[in-house]
Amino acid sequence: MTATTTSPTTTPVRATMRGSDLRFLLLTAIGLAVFPFALHLIGGYAGLATQIVIVSVATIGLNVLLGYAGMLSYGQAMFFGGGGYIAAILLIHTMPNHPNLWLAVLGATLATTVLALLVGAVSVRLYGIYFALLTLAFAQMVFFIVEQGKDLTGGDDGLQSFPVALLALGPWNLDLTTALPALALGPFGNLGDIKLWYVFAAVVLLAVLWFVRALTRSQFGEVLDAIRENEERSVFVGFNAAAYRLAAFAISGALTGLSGSLKALYDGTVAVDSLTIERSGSFVIYAVVGGVQTLFGPVVGTAIIMYLENVLSGVISFWQLIEGLIFVLAIVFLPNGIVGTILKRRRGARALVDAVRVP
Amino acid sequence: MDAILQTRGLGKSFGHFAANADIDFAVQPGELRAVIGPNGAGKTTFFNLIAGTIGATSGSIAFQGRDVTRTSGTHRVHLGIAKAFQTANIYPSQSVRQNCRLAALAHVQGAFALQVVRRSNRLGRVDELAEQAMSRVDLGAQADVRAGDLSHGDKKRLDIAIALATEPQILLLDEPVAGMSKDEARKTEGLVKRLASEMTVLIIEHDMELIMGISDSITVLHGGRVLASGTPAEIRASAAVQEAYLGGHTAQEILE
Repeated sequence: MTATTTSPTTTPVRATMRGSDLRFLLLTAIGLAVFPFALHLIGGYAGLATQIVIVSVATIGLNVLLGYAGMLSYGQAMFFGGGGYIAAILLIHTMPNHPNLWLAVLGATLATTVLALLVGAVSVRLYGIYFALLTLAFAQMVFFIVEQGKDLTGGDDGLQSFPVALLALGPWNLDLTTALPALALGPFGNLGDIKLWYVFAAVVLLAVLWFVRALTRSQFGEVLDAIRENEERSVFVGFNAAAYRLAAFAISGALTGLSGSLKALYDGTVAVDSLTIERSGSFVIYAVVGGVQTLFGPVVGTAIIMYLENVLSGVISFWQLIEGLIFVLAIVFLPNGIVGTILKRRRGARALVDAVRVP
Repeated sequence: MDAILQTRGLGKSFGHFAANADIDFAVQPGELRAVIGPNGAGKTTFFNLIAGTIGATSGSIAFQGRDVTRTSGTHRVHLGIAKAFQTANIYPSQSVRQNCRLAALAHVQGAFALQVVRRSNRLGRVDELAEQAMSRVDLGAQADVRAGDLSHGDKKRLDIAIALATEPQILLLDEPVAGMSKDEARKTEGLVKRLASEMTVLIIEHDMELIMGISDSITVLHGGRVLASGTPAEIRASAAVQEAYLGGHTAQEILE
């Protein structure tokens, strides 16, 4: 994101901001409402839409770090899996009789934020490959601890059959596994099996997108941009670069932990595969394919790769080879990712129009 | 008057090599002080010690009567020590205005602020400081130009504007005319003179003509130590300085 120059007259700027906020929320909400139907048309099952929406939040979390702070974390699984385990453990041990989804999810998010602050305090002073390797090492430590802590975590078996958490909303206690009425799509058959879960996950994603959009335009995002572009100068105009990098790491950990906790509650199970190197790497692939430094890139990348995995892994047995190939092709041919490339083309076209129009 | 900046026995060693040793140095408020010396004299090390880029291995630094020897570079900026770099150190992809706004933002908000929703244009003072900084270095007309597209001279003046946007008490200039054409250098010379009438300036420069013309006083470093201190006239006449620079000959003799 390049910070745009701002005019000193703030009032009209703020007025148009509100309009664009509204348009953003509306268009994104429509897109999310249409998404499961579009996915159904190309052969994705209903639950896949929910999973994509949930996992997107983790990819967005990585993008805050990779795209906006310029730090490549290869240990995001510690937050994703960590969030899942903490939510499950909270449900099993603290509220077996009144499983509250808010408490489980917020507790998990808070815990992964603290984990990110602790890991970040050690790692954010390192750069590039050293930072990536240190986050990877921490993630491996978390993996090992969870795998060994059988009494609490179930070891290799993971945790299953924990209480179904209910969503407390005013007077209601919603069971998100409730199916929505099946929708007839004319010649395309019926779209059944969409659960209330999808609606909830979509609202969470919308809120996260709004937050990250605001963040990139905020004072904080502006400084993050500055530090990414020239850290030495930023330090010598008076910014505490390490504190900013730590804050970005914590926000990233929080979003990834939120995503992981939702995924565990949706699946009704959490296992050690959510803490692996492959899991960490998948977020990097999703973000890069979709386009880092873009708001929707992480969502698009997550959707495309998860869809392809779902369709192809049933047909061919070497899905991970295909996934790797897509990653390589994206880096070589679309270094800005899918969304980044589209935006760049549009910017290029607009620049062309401007160049012609200027007398 | 009390010195605004004072060092006592300041030293920096890299292993066994003493890049700076026993430097006693004091700058009065409002002074334009130059630090000169042959290549390898330790000028850049001295500057980096003052700015907080590197830490001292001995001695102390006091700024406005306060010991800042162990204070980080970031914190020193907030105390009022700002630095323009030898190689223009700017944000090339941002506009000239945004370069200055960022420095002003750091000054207004402090070293860190978790403002993840509020925008910086809500802070009126930021735009005000940025506009002032740009006009002081004559870059107001290029406010919307991408900083990376500026000429070499303008990039170095932008670097100075960035430092100015933090409202410094003392401005450190590291070779402000290095690599500039005659015209550009003259423009920057005028700028340095103007700034010196408004604040304390500490300058490193190789251009002797410039230094002799604008400085109130000069400190000569040689082998990491202070060789001489005095007015431009005193330095010009100093036998020790001639020895260090010219091997004992006067400039006249060398030219003949």
